[in-house]
Amino acid sequence: MVLLSAPRWLRSRLTDRFWRVQEVLKYARHFRGRKNRCYKLAVRSVRRAFVKSTKARREKKRFLRALWITRIEAASLEHGLKYPAFISNLIKSQVELNRKMIADLAIYEPKTFKSLAALAQRRRQEGFLAALGDGKEPEGIFSRIVHHY
Amino acid sequence: RYVRQLQRLQLLFSPTAADSRGARQFVEEEALDFARQNPDVVLYVSPRAGPAPVLLAEYMNGTVREELIASKTSEEIKQLATKLAGQSGLDIIRIRKPFHTDNPSIQGQWHPLTNKPSALTVQGPRLQPQ
Repeated sequence: MVLLSAPRWLRSRLTDRFWRVQEVLKYARHFRGRKNRCYKLAVRSVRRAFVKSTKARREKKRFLRALWITRIEAASLEHGLKYPAFISNLIKSQVELNRKMIADLAIYEPKTFKSLAALAQRRRQEGFLAALGDGKEPEGIFSRIVHHY
Repeated sequence: RYVRQLQRLQLLFSPTAADSRGARQFVEEEALDFARQNPDVVLYVSPRAGPAPVLLAEYMNGTVREELIASKTSEEIKQLATKLAGQSGLDIIRIRKPFHTDNPSIQGQWHPLTNKPSALTVQGPRLQPQ
């Protein structure tokens, strides 16, 4: 229905109010209380929910990283290593795995994780020898650095 | 090799209604060209006296997608048809993860007894390793 003149527009009625209201209420259906039914309350709740979800995207990254760190800590304690020792020695041995992959390995590939923990332990011992020995012993095997450039 | 996931494309329109004008123009002018350019797309054209004109796309996994083409120009209908022909039948929702595996674990998933010594190796005051 094309309303071609201003007097015609002024006489028209709003006919799709139901669908405009449903557009908002469909995002509020799983809320608790009256804000999943009543439009006036739902508008505010839906807007706050969207704002919170956009802001939470930055926190999600922090939260997931903390979760991975907790899991790696638990897994490395099973093998007798603490998390700072594990991660620092892994980086010194040039193993560039990020915490997400190490956490997935710890869950799904426990033997690989055990070998990673053994590598970190060996590098740790070599580090101690290099720092405390200070003699003419040769450098540790796992302390060698490979340059890729 | 690429297999088109679109099973059939049905163009249902009315030969007399006013909102099927674009659909009728599409059938007269561009349907043949569209069919020739995409030889593996099956296009069924069925005029029927009834409700609004619709472009029905059925896919290999069973999903049926209806797109209203009422009061659309023939150009728009052609673009819509190419879009539907390129889609697969998966629902259009947010994909949670861009990866999926059926066998996530090769060495066996961790369980609380993976790193504990078994009864074969425990050395207690009375238990001997076998």
